[in-house]
Amino acid sequence: MAHQADAKKSLDERGYTGALIRGDNPLKLFEKAVRDRIVDSYYWKEQCFGLNAATLLDRAVELTFIGGTYGVAQKPTPFLCLAFKLLQLTPDKEIILFYLEQEEYKYLRALAAFYIRLAWEKDADVYTTLEPYLSDSRKLKRRIREGWALTHVDEFIDDLLLKNRVCATTLPKLNPRLFLEDEDRLEPRVSALGEELEELDHDDERDSASDGEVEELPNGHANGDGRPGSDGEVVSDEEMDGD
Amino acid sequence: MPPPSSRMTKNRPQPIRYRPGKAEVAEEASEDEESEQSDDEAAQEEVAAPRAPQPKATSFPSHNKLAVDLSKADQQTSAAPKSAPKKQDDDDLEGFVTASESSEEDEAGGSSDEEGADSSEEEEESSDDEPKKPMLRPTFISKAKRAQQATAQPQRSADDAAAEEERKRKEKADEMLQAQLERDAANRAAGRKAWDDDADINPEDEVDDTDGVDPEAERAAWKLRELKRVRRDRLAIEEKEKEREEIERRRNMTAEEREAEDKIYIDAQKEDREGKGQMGFMQKYHHKGAFFVGDEQDEEVQKVMNRDLAGARFVDETGDKGVLPEYMRIRDMTKLGKKGRTKYKDLKAEDTGRWGTELGNKRRDYDGLDDRFRPDERGGGGGEREQTGANAQPVGERRRREDDDGYRDRDGKRVRYD
Repeated sequence: MAHQADAKKSLDERGYTGALIRGDNPLKLFEKAVRDRIVDSYYWKEQCFGLNAATLLDRAVELTFIGGTYGVAQKPTPFLCLAFKLLQLTPDKEIILFYLEQEEYKYLRALAAFYIRLAWEKDADVYTTLEPYLSDSRKLKRRIREGWALTHVDEFIDDLLLKNRVCATTLPKLNPRLFLEDEDRLEPRVSALGEELEELDHDDERDSASDGEVEELPNGHANGDGRPGSDGEVVSDEEMDGD
Repeated sequence: MPPPSSRMTKNRPQPIRYRPGKAEVAEEASEDEESEQSDDEAAQEEVAAPRAPQPKATSFPSHNKLAVDLSKADQQTSAAPKSAPKKQDDDDLEGFVTASESSEEDEAGGSSDEEGADSSEEEEESSDDEPKKPMLRPTFISKAKRAQQATAQPQRSADDAAAEEERKRKEKADEMLQAQLERDAANRAAGRKAWDDDADINPEDEVDDTDGVDPEAERAAWKLRELKRVRRDRLAIEEKEKEREEIERRRNMTAEEREAEDKIYIDAQKEDREGKGQMGFMQKYHHKGAFFVGDEQDEEVQKVMNRDLAGARFVDETGDKGVLPEYMRIRDMTKLGKKGRTKYKDLKAEDTGRWGTELGNKRRDYDGLDDRFRPDERGGGGGEREQTGANAQPVGERRRREDDDGYRDRDGKRVRYD
C-alpha cells in the first residue's frame, strides 16, 4: 500500500485496509484513552508526522526514557508515541530485528522489544527473540506517574514476558513458557549464567548432607532436594562483594 | 445638527448617584459634559472620523486618517476607539495646538508617532484639568537665570517624557523577546525538545542511566537478577510437579481414603471458624470491601484487614447492649442523640407481620359457655340463624285456581263475554 504521510486512515476505524495484527487494526492494541492522549500530544503532532522506518530511527535514537503515561493529565511519553507510530507503520520483521540488534542505542532496543511483544503473534518466536537480551544489563530511565524510576534492559524484557500491563498497555495474551515447554514447542531456557549456575548447583549438592533425594535433570534444572532458598543465599555471599 | 447623544433623551446627564457596590464610571459623565459644551461652542468638525457609537453616512474617514500603514496591524485597532475621545478633545481645545495633534496629522508615520499620539492622548485627558485651573502668573526670569535653567533643565515637556518612557518600555520588551527566542533556539540546539517542556523536573529526582559507572556492581546486580529469575522458574516447575503428584495420589486412593481426607480438611475448617469469636449483641459489622484485596497489599495491611472483630470491645463499649436503656440500643453509637433519629431500630423489630404465628389462636374464652351467654356473632350472622318466630317458616307453594288452566288474558282478569 502506498505510504501515506500522516497515515490518517489507520486512525479511522472504519474501512481500515492495511496490515492486521491478530485480526484487527494494529492501533487497537492501545486502549482508546491512551490512543487519544497520544494523538493529542505535541510530540506526536510535531515529531511523528510523516515518519517512515528510517526517520523513525532518527527519533528513536534521541529517546532518553521509557514509560507509559505520566502526570495528572496522562501525558504520553515519546517512547509510547514512537511505539504507536511503529504500530501504524507495521514495518517488516527484518527492520524490527535490525532495531533490536543495535547495541549502541538501548532505548531503541527497548522500543523494538516492546513492538515485538505487542505485534508478533507466534509465542515461540517472541520468546526466542527476546530471551537473549536478558543478558543486557544496561540501565534504563523509566517515567512513572509521579517521578522516575531506574530499571534495566533485562528487567524490562522480563516484565514484557511476564506481566500483563506494561507502559500503559495491556499486553496481548502470551502463553506461559512452561506451557510451551510442555508442548515441546520450546526448549527450556538456558540462562546466560550457564556454567556458573551449574557450579552453584554442584556446590549446593556437595554442601548439603544427602537428606533427600538428589535428582539431576538435564540443564541442571530442578534442585531436586527441594531447597531453593539456598541458591540465593550462596550467591549473596559469593558475588556481592562489590557492594 | 444636534450631537448624537447615546442616551436618546434631552435631559442633561446628571452626576452618577452613589449606589453601594457599583463602581462609578466617571469618564462617561465627563465626556458627556464636554460634548454638551462643544455643542454650546458650536464648533463642528467637517472631518469626522467614524465614531464607535454612531457612524454617519456623510462623514467618511478623511484621507489622511485612512493612510495608515497596514503593516502595523496591532496598532490599527487602537485607532478607531481612540479617535472618538480624541475628537472631542480637539473640539475642546480649539486653537490649542499640542504636539500630539500635529503628529496626528502626519499619520503616515512610524510606530512611535502612533504610540506618542496614544500616550499624549492619555496625557491630554489629564492635562485637560490644567487649562481649567487658574493659570499661574508668569514670573520674570533674567537672561542669566534663563540660560542657567535651559542647561539645567533635564525635564522636557510632559508629552515628550511620556513618549520617551514608551520608547524605553518597548525596547525592554523587545530585548526580553529576543532573549526568550535565543533561549528557545539554544534549548532546541542542545537537544531539549519543545514538547518536552517539563521545566519542573527536579534534578534530585533525575535517575542516572549512564552505564559503566561501576561495572563490577552492575555485573553483580545483573547476576542477582538473573539468578532470581532462574529460581522463580524452578519454583514454578516444582509447584506444577507437586500439583500433578497430588492429583495422581488422590486418583490412586480408594473412595474411603478420600472421604477420610476430606473429613479431616472440613474439620480443620470448622475449627478455624469456631476459633473466631462470637459477635456481641448488636455489634457493628464492618465489611472488608470486595476490592483491593490480595497480593498487591502489604502484609501488614492484609493482617489488619483480616483480623477477627467478632466480640471485639473497645473503650466505652458495653459488652451487652441489653443493659442499656431502650433508647441507647442502637447498632451505630455515633448516631446516638442526633436530631432526626427515628425510632427505627432494625427490620426485625419493626416488622408487623404475623407470619403464621397466630393462626391457631382463635378466641376461646367463651367456648364452654352456654348458647345464651355467647357473644353476638361478628358480621351479623348469616341472617339465617334467627329461627324463632312466625316468620321463621319458609313460604309454601302457591295454590292455583281451577279456572285458569286454559288460556287466560294476560291481565289476569276474568274473561268478558261481551
